[in-house]
Amino acid sequence: MPILKIKNAELSINNKKILKGLSLNVNEGETHAIMGPNGSGKSTLSYMLAGRDGYELDNGSISFDNTDLTQLSPDERSNLGLFLAFQYPVELPGVSSTNFLREIFNSRKKYLGENELSHLDFIKHLRKVAENLSIKDEMLKRYVNFGFSGGEKKRFEILQMALLNPKISVLDETDSGLDVDALKIVSEGVNNLKDKKNAVVVITHYQRLLDYIKPDIVHIMSDGKIIKSGDADLALYVEKNGYSEILNEKS
Amino acid sequence: MKKARNDQFFSNLEKFVNKVYPNQLQRQPYLSLKSWPSPRDEAWKFSRLGKLARKNILPLNLENQQDFSINKLIKDSISLVFVNGKFEKKLSDKLLSEIVIEEVQIEDFKEIINKFDNLSVKNHPTLNSTLSCSQKFFKIKFKNDIKFYKPIEIFNLGGSENTSIHPFIFIHLEKNADVQVFQHYSTYAGLLAPFEIINLSENSNLEIIKIYDDKINSHNLSLTLSVIKEEANLRSFALIKGGEFTRSEMHTLLEGEYSNADINGIYLSSGSQHHDLTSCVYHNVPNCKSSQIVKGVLGEESTAVFQGKVRVEKLAQKTEAKQMSRAIMLSDKAVSNSKPELEIYADDVICGHGATVGELDEDQIFYLSSRGISKQKAKVILIDAFLNEMISLSISDKFHDIIYNETKTKINKLLANEYE
Repeated sequence: MPILKIKNAELSINNKKILKGLSLNVNEGETHAIMGPNGSGKSTLSYMLAGRDGYELDNGSISFDNTDLTQLSPDERSNLGLFLAFQYPVELPGVSSTNFLREIFNSRKKYLGENELSHLDFIKHLRKVAENLSIKDEMLKRYVNFGFSGGEKKRFEILQMALLNPKISVLDETDSGLDVDALKIVSEGVNNLKDKKNAVVVITHYQRLLDYIKPDIVHIMSDGKIIKSGDADLALYVEKNGYSEILNEKS
Repeated sequence: MKKARNDQFFSNLEKFVNKVYPNQLQRQPYLSLKSWPSPRDEAWKFSRLGKLARKNILPLNLENQQDFSINKLIKDSISLVFVNGKFEKKLSDKLLSEIVIEEVQIEDFKEIINKFDNLSVKNHPTLNSTLSCSQKFFKIKFKNDIKFYKPIEIFNLGGSENTSIHPFIFIHLEKNADVQVFQHYSTYAGLLAPFEIINLSENSNLEIIKIYDDKINSHNLSLTLSVIKEEANLRSFALIKGGEFTRSEMHTLLEGEYSNADINGIYLSSGSQHHDLTSCVYHNVPNCKSSQIVKGVLGEESTAVFQGKVRVEKLAQKTEAKQMSRAIMLSDKAVSNSKPELEIYADDVICGHGATVGELDEDQIFYLSSRGISKQKAKVILIDAFLNEMISLSISDKFHDIIYNETKTKINKLLANEYE
């Protein structure tokens, strides 16, 4: 069953074309990796999916779970089950992490027509989920992402993903700024959430993350398009030979 | 109705005082002020009184006939109620023996006023009008060593569109007293001119929280003069949300070593409201600390001013003074003015100031939205965070929720209007 269908997406920022006819299909149960050199439009793709202002399509279509995504606001997309783990998670001084997590957890529950959890039950649930990601209570008492280290920020993203239980998760450079131990924790977190009903799209520069989160399909993105797709071996090939050979092959 | 001349109010005032208090000579000197401060006056440059000058206002001298109900913020507080500027014993709670309310004469506190030797105090319309026409001058005295766990709530009520009311209060803490006071300004007055004097004796502690929530046609020109002795501590917090025009002006004199003054505040401005927090702190002796920290949220066509001044005398070494003003603009028609001033004559001091004005951060709004929170809710969360930081910094923990709730309805209104 397809979850996400992007067809010929074209998008420009400040009159500069960034996405130039990008197509991508993701089915339930699949893990995709999107790799590509700097400036190929990977982060633009993630903002476009999440619905950031200024990232509206010029042409093309996106459907998610058979809904036209382009008509929805970021919060509606999230409630529908789309999750973006930010490359640079945003600091929210003054907003307590625990309250924030409870707010987003209950807003998703409400949308799904499920019962919201009481404060106490939520805290119990949160502790369990946080423990799996080696997140200590002390961190949850701080303001959202405020003064977090790079690794803490990325773990906090995955914690949100675990609480929201999305249908599709887009991980934008989640490996950047992580040491090997943190990379393992984060990857395990993602793998534990993976099942036959949901999907993951990993956007990354390096093959390193894909040692831990095994992709079913690897796409190479360049100049606003996907120029080559293949299995996990394609990532290994890129790691060994760089992007240039594939790029030359196309031009 | 015919528009008033610029000096109309002051001639009304003079007639009123000469008729009602013909034999009270102590009031006469304060009738020498004949007109409102003009915009050329530096202290009033950003807060213009033209509209107030055009109002035809008479001092109010009616005995209160109405029934007033008060809404205490603190369940077990002791209330003192002033209606039309007059103390209403019947509406107020019974006092405890540690508090004394007495009527005083201007002579009894004139010495304190004279310590503020500057023109913006001497020519202040509130000082002059209220000393000339307030019905009575009340002093509330808190005796030595009392630690007061029941806050005092002072309510200012009454008034009407074409009247002015002039409450006066002299708050005096004797040595080691520890007191919390809430001041509510919730009148219908065309002009409310509350004049307060605060006198803190050695090692006393006063936390005073002022909530300005007058009705929408009101001008409130509140003036507070405070004198602080050795090791005493003044913690003042103003929440301004009401009125057509509200200025909370505080002059604070640190005259005992190791004393401290925090003169902080929040303004929440909507419609065409004008809000002004003006504060001067005078460091006259060494080793004192002060802070003037103000945050505001402005919507629609509202305007706001923060004027903060710190003066550090040559003697006042080891002074620590900080000043900060931050405003969030929800509308591009709103205007925020900030005028920080440091006047430093000592060489061994730590003084800092800063000011920022901006919109809510788009990245933060997007981050919250991407987690399923609506844009409007995201703004509420971010404004709450902005204000909560300020509230935790400025007032005792036990009052946080109360003050937070006092901001809540106004914030919702500000955001609702933005979305209309």
